[in-house]
Amino acid sequence: MPGGGALPPGTSFPQHLALTMMTGAILQAINGVSLAALLFLLASGFTLTFGLMRVVNMAHGAYYLLGGYVGLSTVRATGSFALAIAAGGAAIVLLGYLVDRFLIRRTGENHLAQVLLTVGVAFVIGDIALKIWGGDSLKVHVPELLRGPMELPGGLVYPAYRFVLIFFSIVVGVLLWVLYRKTQIGAVVRAGVDDREQVSATGINVDRLFVIVSALASFLAGMSGVVGGAFLMLYPGAEWEILVYALVVVIVGGLGSLEGAMIGALIVGLLDAYGRWLLPEFSYFVLFAPMALLLLVRPRGLFGKDI
Amino acid sequence: MTPPAIEVGALTKEFGGLRAVDGISLSVATGERRVLIGPNGAGKTTLFHCITGTLSPSAGRVALFGRDVTALAESRRTALGMGRTFQISNVFANLSLAENLVLALIGTGRRKWIMHRPVGAYPDLRRRALEGLEHVGLRQRADESVKHLSYGERRQLELALALNSNPKVLFLDEPCAGLSPGERQRISKMIGALPRDITLVMIEHDMDVALGLADRVTVLHRGRIILEGSPAEVQANPEVRDVYFGHV
Amino acid sequence: MGRVGIGLALAAFAVALTLPQFAGPFWMGLVTQMLIFGLLALSVDLLLGQTGLFSLCHASFFAVAAYTTAILQVRYAVPTLLAAPAGLVAGTLLALGFGLAVRTRGVYFILITIALGYIVWGVLHRWSSFTGGDNGVTNVPFPAVGELRIGSHTEYYYFVLAVVIACALVYRVLIASPFGLSLRGIKASETRTRSLGYRTGLHLYAAFVLSGLLASLAGVLYVYYNRFVNPVSASFPISVEATLMAIIGGSGTIAGPFIGSGIILGLRNWVSSFFELYATVMGVVFIATVLWAPDGIVGLVNRLRAARARRKAL
Repeated sequence: MPGGGALPPGTSFPQHLALTMMTGAILQAINGVSLAALLFLLASGFTLTFGLMRVVNMAHGAYYLLGGYVGLSTVRATGSFALAIAAGGAAIVLLGYLVDRFLIRRTGENHLAQVLLTVGVAFVIGDIALKIWGGDSLKVHVPELLRGPMELPGGLVYPAYRFVLIFFSIVVGVLLWVLYRKTQIGAVVRAGVDDREQVSATGINVDRLFVIVSALASFLAGMSGVVGGAFLMLYPGAEWEILVYALVVVIVGGLGSLEGAMIGALIVGLLDAYGRWLLPEFSYFVLFAPMALLLLVRPRGLFGKDI
Repeated sequence: MTPPAIEVGALTKEFGGLRAVDGISLSVATGERRVLIGPNGAGKTTLFHCITGTLSPSAGRVALFGRDVTALAESRRTALGMGRTFQISNVFANLSLAENLVLALIGTGRRKWIMHRPVGAYPDLRRRALEGLEHVGLRQRADESVKHLSYGERRQLELALALNSNPKVLFLDEPCAGLSPGERQRISKMIGALPRDITLVMIEHDMDVALGLADRVTVLHRGRIILEGSPAEVQANPEVRDVYFGHV
Repeated sequence: MGRVGIGLALAAFAVALTLPQFAGPFWMGLVTQMLIFGLLALSVDLLLGQTGLFSLCHASFFAVAAYTTAILQVRYAVPTLLAAPAGLVAGTLLALGFGLAVRTRGVYFILITIALGYIVWGVLHRWSSFTGGDNGVTNVPFPAVGELRIGSHTEYYYFVLAVVIACALVYRVLIASPFGLSLRGIKASETRTRSLGYRTGLHLYAAFVLSGLLASLAGVLYVYYNRFVNPVSASFPISVEATLMAIIGGSGTIAGPFIGSGIILGLRNWVSSFFELYATVMGVVFIATVLWAPDGIVGLVNRLRAARARRKAL
């Protein structure tokens, strides 16, 4: 931890402890917000597809992992991080389309069937990814420009990449928000969250809209795998861990709500960071227990509506 | 003086700004047969839902035999003597007719919690279930699955479920909806033959059925009561003709 | 069907009783495992098949019961007679807590139970000072009551068989009872049951807790069979697999979850002996079940029969 080592002259031990705690708290805040940035990228797609199509896609975590692996290989082959993001996203758009068109579409609105089916899809993706990329933890290489440490006021040092990620996520968030609140597509999606009947009543080509929104969600999932793989590791099993985080984000925020996904991501990111720091053995508990309590009071999440 | 069976005070139900029920007050005496009429969207079913506890009202109160039940759950209201049917048949499609009736019979008692003996160990349940089916003319089909019932037969079963939960006040939501004239007559006869100590509140579109059964009629329009009176008064009222018959 | 069913059950019982005569230790181990996971699948199906609730946290009760028993036996040398019931109590207490999830329905219930399941997995995985982390708890002894001790896998097999049969009989009474009928009523129409006077949430909560108790029993049986336990036993794939077992065998029946457990574990053992990508095969089984056999083996047989009858009729 920065600021450790011998006591600086003129400070007492309690003062030093307080200082260390302070820097720790600040660092964890940045950790939390950068995790939140990643979770938002992943969860926003999930929540939008659910809102519009009532589809629970448990393969979302596997999309993340596979997108990350594709990005990793792209960086290895071309050295371009931007290309990796595009490739990771595009690969998942294609895969997601096929899964949607030939599998999920056939389950109707049966959530049980959707969950089992997409878990099956995730098993297949995870297994094949294991065969291709192996069982070791891998990291996507970020370009030199983004890699270096960044000095913060107060002598703190932090990897620049995380700030870029936060910035990137904000940009994506703003774009999604504009799409969601200010365009016709967004209006239809929001109407769909409230009342499915309304969507068909608008006279819009619903099928095409579904394809567009799920392609967007797939792209976000694949892309988040690449940007996430650059600071978290990619490894077999990561698909389930990240999925559960995304699920919690979506549940806390309220299924189908973009604003909910933003707030939910922040809550989950910060709880996770502080939980790991202060109560490492119970960090999952710190993360999930408040969520469980929240849901007992508000089963639909913070911004959720009756469905 | 005994309190009325049902007393509704200034009841309002809003759905996202839309007032489906707009400050309705209503009193139904014990043993009375009240029919609610009104065009589609008048708020009749929503009012029913709020009285029986399926929905909770945005404002107002509901009392059953003088006891305030506004805050009580639907199941508690049933235990206190409310029974109801649904506009769209709501029966247990995966069970046999007899099992449907057993569920109605044990719903308000403690026996629904028995876990250590099969239903078959209680012959009285079987007997009463068959009696209940007999009453609506479905006894021969007691052990068939509800899946095999026709639409009309489902309406009969729907009524049997409500009757066998031992209600003191029975709410019937368009019991004859979608039935052929023959079936309609049959059901309305069944309802007419109910013991007079059961208070009846009924939504009905068919004016002949409604006016034949009702002691009093309440006319709803856009979430409000526009008239209440005897069947003859209601029939004679020009405003009702305009609102009600103008729309059908 | 009744007489055929009893005949089949007796035949299965006869086979189960004589199995150790002709099956080696490997097969006995596999069959014991099938029985234990069949019990876990049955616990999932008490919710799924009877009430319609789709819970994905049953591995939690299974694992917490297994860990409690294992830690008491191994670390505190508590005798089986206390350690095993303690496991049941711990798993059931957890179910009492998680059962509050019945406040929600449908997709919310599914997602919340997934998240609750992860709390348990996460705590078992990270709280290494107590749970042993990823290594878990090892060297669990065979169960023993005073002088009476189980000394071999065959003996343990008979013990598990006896417990499973007892459970199946109790379960049969439970689902045929007024309470069981009420659950099926809720599954068919919750609004209707409510209007008939049922506090449906309370019924579902009771079913959830009972189901957690059954899953805990499977967990205790498992830890004495496996002799060690690690966080994998609490993981999400265990919960989904138990659900798949119930569905593939025939949800809503008693034999179904056991048939499903036999199919899944048998398939996994067979495939993994010659094919590296066996998880892929499992994934395909998930997909195929949903698309072509959503009512399980029983439903599939019935459908094929009906199709053949139709063809003949034409």
